[in-house]
Amino acid sequence: MNLADKEILELNELCNALVEGMLNETQKAQLSHWLATSEAARQFYVRAMGLSASLFSYAGEMQTEEPEAAVSFAKIIHVGWWWKWWKFGALAAAASIVLVSWIEWPRQNIISAAAPVDEFVAQLTGSKECQWVDHSSSAQPGGRLRKGQKLELAKGFAEITFDSGAQIVLQGPASLDVKSAWAATLNRGTLKASVPPEAIGFTISNPKVEVVDLGTEFTMFADAIGAATEVLVLKGEVEAQPNTGDDQQPILLHEKESRRFAASGVSSINNSEQKFARFTQSVSLDHFIPPTAYMHWSFDEADGDIFKADTCGTPFDAADLRLENISPSGFATAHGPGRWEHALQFDGHLFAKAAFPDISGNTPHTVVFWVKVPKDANLSNAYAMIAWSMNSKKFGSHPIHIGWNRNPNEGTVGVLRTDYGGGFALGSTLLRDGRWHHISVVLIPGEDAKSFVEVKQYVDGRFEGEGKSSPPGSDIFTKLSSATSGTVWLGCRLGIDGVRQERFRGEMDELFIADRALEPLEIVQLMKDNQLPQSELAAVKK
Amino acid sequence: MKNDSQNETESRKRLMLLITRHQRQIFGYIYALVPNRYDAEDLLQETSLVICEKFNEFEEGTDFVAWACQIAYWRIRYSRQKFARSKVVFNQEIVDAVAQTAGTMTSELDRRHEALGNCLQKLHPRDRELVLTRYEPGSGVEEAARRSGRTLQTAYKALARLRKLLLDCVSNQLAGRGAT
Repeated sequence: MNLADKEILELNELCNALVEGMLNETQKAQLSHWLATSEAARQFYVRAMGLSASLFSYAGEMQTEEPEAAVSFAKIIHVGWWWKWWKFGALAAAASIVLVSWIEWPRQNIISAAAPVDEFVAQLTGSKECQWVDHSSSAQPGGRLRKGQKLELAKGFAEITFDSGAQIVLQGPASLDVKSAWAATLNRGTLKASVPPEAIGFTISNPKVEVVDLGTEFTMFADAIGAATEVLVLKGEVEAQPNTGDDQQPILLHEKESRRFAASGVSSINNSEQKFARFTQSVSLDHFIPPTAYMHWSFDEADGDIFKADTCGTPFDAADLRLENISPSGFATAHGPGRWEHALQFDGHLFAKAAFPDISGNTPHTVVFWVKVPKDANLSNAYAMIAWSMNSKKFGSHPIHIGWNRNPNEGTVGVLRTDYGGGFALGSTLLRDGRWHHISVVLIPGEDAKSFVEVKQYVDGRFEGEGKSSPPGSDIFTKLSSATSGTVWLGCRLGIDGVRQERFRGEMDELFIADRALEPLEIVQLMKDNQLPQSELAAVKK
Repeated sequence: MKNDSQNETESRKRLMLLITRHQRQIFGYIYALVPNRYDAEDLLQETSLVICEKFNEFEEGTDFVAWACQIAYWRIRYSRQKFARSKVVFNQEIVDAVAQTAGTMTSELDRRHEALGNCLQKLHPRDRELVLTRYEPGSGVEEAARRSGRTLQTAYKALARLRKLLLDCVSNQLAGRGAT
């Protein structure tokens, strides 16, 4: 039986309310009655819902395609859904094939991200009597180093800390190319590499050999004419792949083992004992770590619905964190056991906020916390663990959100995601597993409007994803948000006019916000000890 | 061993082809039963994983969409049982009735999807932008209103009007009467 025009209008109104999430109880009862009693109504309903499902599809494709691709909607769909399948295929593969080696994935991770023009991947963190060959090949103390940057050290020692956490001490005269957070090329000279477990897979190469670190300390010496390279393993083990000679099988070198790699092949090293003795001596370096100011919410003790912060070096008063959208009886469930003593438990409704004017300034910050996301968290619970707005037109009206990815078009659903005006960063560890994960996000906004925004993510101490530009056509509104600025928000999504409907579901513990870009090793220490290195705390910013 | 490996590869290729071709239809089916975008996407992912796991049970030559929709249907039932706060708006009887109807309309919904592409092109660019912004990943009515310079209330009304316009346009196209 066909529907009358009046009935169609009524059903259409009910379907619209349903699609927009505005169906009240009366309307729900009306729609339920229609669907239970009329096949024609059910057909209308399926067509109406099908229309919205198709619009999600078209809109998703249009967002990821170039603007000129808008010529044929029908054509786009085939390409787009194939691509989408690829993403789901990756997800399915992730569920069934978990044998991704430590060695391979960090490099895959970096390769998959579009490299920004000015991509910083390392930092000069220490030196001793350091002299550079010329200005163009030099690095400033504490300065960030770009991908592809060549360092020519005439004499002395230079310590380079890569964003992966790997650390190299270069001994002049030496020449090194910084290739990525996970790789460098030693052209000539001597280096000593220390690679913590979080940076396993870090690689140093040159025309004679490629050394993949398996969690160790090793020394590498490349002679000035490029004839040979020597590798000595001081601790742990490395995999060395000869790049010349007849036999190019990789060699596993253990502690106290060494090899010489030359065009003629692989051989043992003369005077290796003396060389081991020389390279195991530590060199005392001057370090360039600035003092750290930070705010810390442990969530261990509450005063009503307020959690106090402890601070170090910050000129601001301790910012109380207040729970919002919580019933008087709901507090008991919102405050439970955590990773360290107690944690905040977000149920998908409550959120929290704390005044923190410094967070919106155009200065670097590192946000560190523990998070546990339930396995059954919905996509609507992805935004946001932490959010705040920036007082900078470069970021536009888009707040910074740290949550997990819910967009399969842009990456694996469930991995750490940081959104900011102009870009986003994606991790690779699936967070929806009901376990605690240590999250650190380093944000370096750049000194001026033109400079590149650096965003680095670390999950469980391991470098995992950095900022890349949003797809072409993404808008950045220049209107700034006064409603959300100067406050750090937990457990909710922000819009330009305030808090939006979406809520994070999961637990959070031990939130630190530091006033500078913490180094990878500091992040690992914070993860292990739940406090920043004591030497840092002695030097407080005035 | 080699034959096993080849069969496995062929099976994966077939799975890839089928999901590539039909994932949108499966999502449409789920969305009709669970009319919330994020919940439906969650369920689509879960369904996709089950499809991968159970693909060796799929009989070549039978209706893949119908088979996949059956899996989706049981994921939705499981979701209702598992979560105290149900993702499903309607009671089970209604879900069953809608599922029955939706199951018979997959080819029509396919044709409607293709027709919608044409109808979208016929919209005024400003209206088309409003609609597509509303449905973009991570977006919503608020964002669509902001970008188009409308108030929230006006955007809701405009979207309701445009959805009806598109629904009628699609129906007219399928009836061979051309778009309005």
